[in-house]
Amino acid sequence: MVDQKEGLSTAESLRKTRSYGQVRCHNPSCMGRLQPQAGVNQVKCPACGMEYRVAWIKSGFPRIRGPVWDVNQRLAEEAFERKMKEERKDGPK
Amino acid sequence: MALNRKIAYIDLSTGKIEIRPIPIDVRRKFLGGRGLDAYLLYNHTKKGCDPLGPDNTLMVSGGILTATLASATARTHVMAKSPLGGLLGSCNMGGFFAPELAWAGFHHLVIKGKAEKPVYLWIHNGKIEIRDARGLWGKTTTETQWAIREELADEDIKSLVIGQAGENKVRIANVMTGIKNSGGRTGMGAVMGSKNLKAIAARGTMDIKIAYPKEALDYNKRFIDQITSAKVNQTQGALGTPFIWGATNSWGGVRCRNFQYNQELYCDEIEPEALDEVCAETMGPYHMAGCFGCQVHCRAKYKIPTGPYAGVYDEGPEYTSQGAFCGEPDCRSIETLLTGNHLVDQWGMDNLETGSLISWAMELYELGILTKKETDGLELTFSNDEALLEMTRRIAFREGWLGNALAEGGIIASEMIGKNSFDYLIQVKGVSNLHSDERATPALALNIATASRGSDHLRSRPAIDLYHLPVEVMRKIYSNPVPYDGPLSSEHTEYIGKPWQVFWHENCYMAVDCLGICKYHTVFLGATLPNFEDWTKVLRYNTGLEFTPREIWDIAERCNMIERLFNLREGLQREDLKKGDMLNHRYFDEPCRRGAPDVVGRVIDREKFKKMVDELYEYKGLDKNGIPKPETLKRLSLENEPAHLV
Amino acid sequence: MEPMGKVLAITPEKCTGCRLCELVCSVFHDGVSNADRSRIKIMKWESEGLYIPMSCQQCQDAPCMMVCPVKAISRDEKLSRVMVNHDICIGCRSCVAVCPFGAMNFSAIDRKNFKCDLCDGDPQCVRFCDMKAVDYVEANRVSILKKKAAAEKISVARREAAALEREM
Repeated sequence: MVDQKEGLSTAESLRKTRSYGQVRCHNPSCMGRLQPQAGVNQVKCPACGMEYRVAWIKSGFPRIRGPVWDVNQRLAEEAFERKMKEERKDGPK
Repeated sequence: MALNRKIAYIDLSTGKIEIRPIPIDVRRKFLGGRGLDAYLLYNHTKKGCDPLGPDNTLMVSGGILTATLASATARTHVMAKSPLGGLLGSCNMGGFFAPELAWAGFHHLVIKGKAEKPVYLWIHNGKIEIRDARGLWGKTTTETQWAIREELADEDIKSLVIGQAGENKVRIANVMTGIKNSGGRTGMGAVMGSKNLKAIAARGTMDIKIAYPKEALDYNKRFIDQITSAKVNQTQGALGTPFIWGATNSWGGVRCRNFQYNQELYCDEIEPEALDEVCAETMGPYHMAGCFGCQVHCRAKYKIPTGPYAGVYDEGPEYTSQGAFCGEPDCRSIETLLTGNHLVDQWGMDNLETGSLISWAMELYELGILTKKETDGLELTFSNDEALLEMTRRIAFREGWLGNALAEGGIIASEMIGKNSFDYLIQVKGVSNLHSDERATPALALNIATASRGSDHLRSRPAIDLYHLPVEVMRKIYSNPVPYDGPLSSEHTEYIGKPWQVFWHENCYMAVDCLGICKYHTVFLGATLPNFEDWTKVLRYNTGLEFTPREIWDIAERCNMIERLFNLREGLQREDLKKGDMLNHRYFDEPCRRGAPDVVGRVIDREKFKKMVDELYEYKGLDKNGIPKPETLKRLSLENEPAHLV
Repeated sequence: MEPMGKVLAITPEKCTGCRLCELVCSVFHDGVSNADRSRIKIMKWESEGLYIPMSCQQCQDAPCMMVCPVKAISRDEKLSRVMVNHDICIGCRSCVAVCPFGAMNFSAIDRKNFKCDLCDGDPQCVRFCDMKAVDYVEANRVSILKKKAAAEKISVARREAAALEREM
């Protein structure tokens, strides 16, 4: 027999964890939740300083379109130099 | 009903066709689709056979739920021994072919031998006919499909075809249906070409009885709602898979200039929103299309806006076209992207392999390992859009020394090129890596290294590992239907807990491929999408078969083990760079140079990687060499295989 | 006067071509999956990416009703639909021949005609179409909705023109 009033499955019960209107910072060590103001096209992560260009799938639904190239490229180059120095000091990890 | 769909054994050498039912106990062991295909491959292919010879066996199938109300049951699966790595060949595509095959009475085709002259198969309401295809030879993928419809005077025919690349036995040739739905990986188009099989045409009007129609309708509505309300699927529905490439590029997770960089900078022109603008300008505001029964509609429609192909209609481009015609060769033109995507669609060639192999050759050219002598004068440098498209053509038609070499796939080409060219070839088991960079994501690195069909993200990639899910959410997903109380980490640069995630996803994706539904409808890109528990319901309402979530998991594990047995029989060895569960040395030796600050500098730790493989082997019931322990085969009832149950 | 009732309102450009409507139509009416049994069908020009859903328009002066030699076809004003009484129908297929939309089908399996019956007021094609390419709305609302969509396009153009004027 088919039970018509089945309860929620695990996947269905997880639906409440969805976070509409928010995006995550793309920096793996940060992953902070960002909530861009309606209609803005740029956002800066308050936690780690990365800057992103924002696009809107629809009203209330933002998406990170990509990095602000100049800013994030500078951060990347600084990080690379720093890490390579550390590695030379400590030997490979 | 779905369960009375049949297997047809077709011998193209003799013209003999045999049609048999699929016994219910075989269904309960392998369900259908990829799982049953793997069983058929293991049982019907001779050990050590030439992948492009008549002894290779080609499987074509839909899943057990194809054309039922399970939501997005569009997937067609194709399997054979791969001409790329000599191991498992397998590809899977959307579109409308598998449902038509099911309405024509069949779930599985087993195609052996080689036709004397070009032929195609015509499958119609329980009957199969081998027809002359000499008039179709030389045609593009779409020309072939439209010509078959005209010849048989039926607009509703759906065909699985090869283009010129498949005819030329280019080892990276794909199998296609519709405008752009492609079974791209592992050179299945070359296998069809080697059998002189140009196309498989299907048309059917046979009922598939739904076990509980009202409940199936109601549950399908609920299932679809769960799927379409997910953020990831709404994004897919607006932008298609380019959004994944864009998001991955944003933090530095895509492959660029073969393997030199992990991010393409200043590529605004080929970002998903830019592509979407071209689609909207050329096709109007509603320019997304769906595969059979799917409400996600992730397939974009476009016309090439400029250049020699201006005004030509095509669909996509997907993630892999962005990687192939932009990130990898370091090109940033939307015209090159849309044109390249169109050319590989027409000639029937895997865009992923095309872009990877050409970019590899570009790096070799930069290093002086390849010169103008091998390229027949072509200036094969990175960021040379014209050279990229010209090389694409040369591969499809095997023109010039290098065109012909790359048409043999990476491994054979590296042997032809010689020197240390192989060191730069980014592949696993002879199959080029997706245009993603896994140096910052050990779980994803483990996935591509151990995937059964060679480097591949659709076999076991725990993509949701990138989302930093709370551990309690991960625990809910990963401790079902099999209990798991080991470590789990939200940190995607970590190594702990990852082997279990890869194992879980390997079984999850196998189950999906057996059912015949799309991975966007399961825990691939969205943590809240359906899995084992939910599938018991779609199976019951549509077929009447009762399964527990655990039983579906066990079936998936069994089917994965069959693939493993096939690979071992054909020579898989754990650390063999050409036939093993191993990554190119650059993953361990060259640090990431671009992307988010925490990605920069990352490499995969060789020792930790080795331990991850050990742990994954343990979950799979394999010994240290990757060979199944006798008790594992017993547990999965595979100790007597090959037993020719079908 | 009574309102005329709801009709299927099709917006072809919204159709994604997925054919879920065909699938649910056959399951709802016949308990089977078989697109050939569907009352609604997506006509496709695949090489151009055009998909057009076609179904019965439930005509006021329905040609099928006029042509039927045994008066088996009638209008059901309550649901604003055209219905076939299969107890009377002789299976001559005159209705199939005369329908200007090809919306009267004939089943080779059951050897009788079949057409859209609006699922007795809960059209399944509408229920499952996420895009609302097929919708079920009051007949007099259809043109209002189209007016609004067209007006929206004009309003965008007007705003752009006004902005240009200001710049000049």
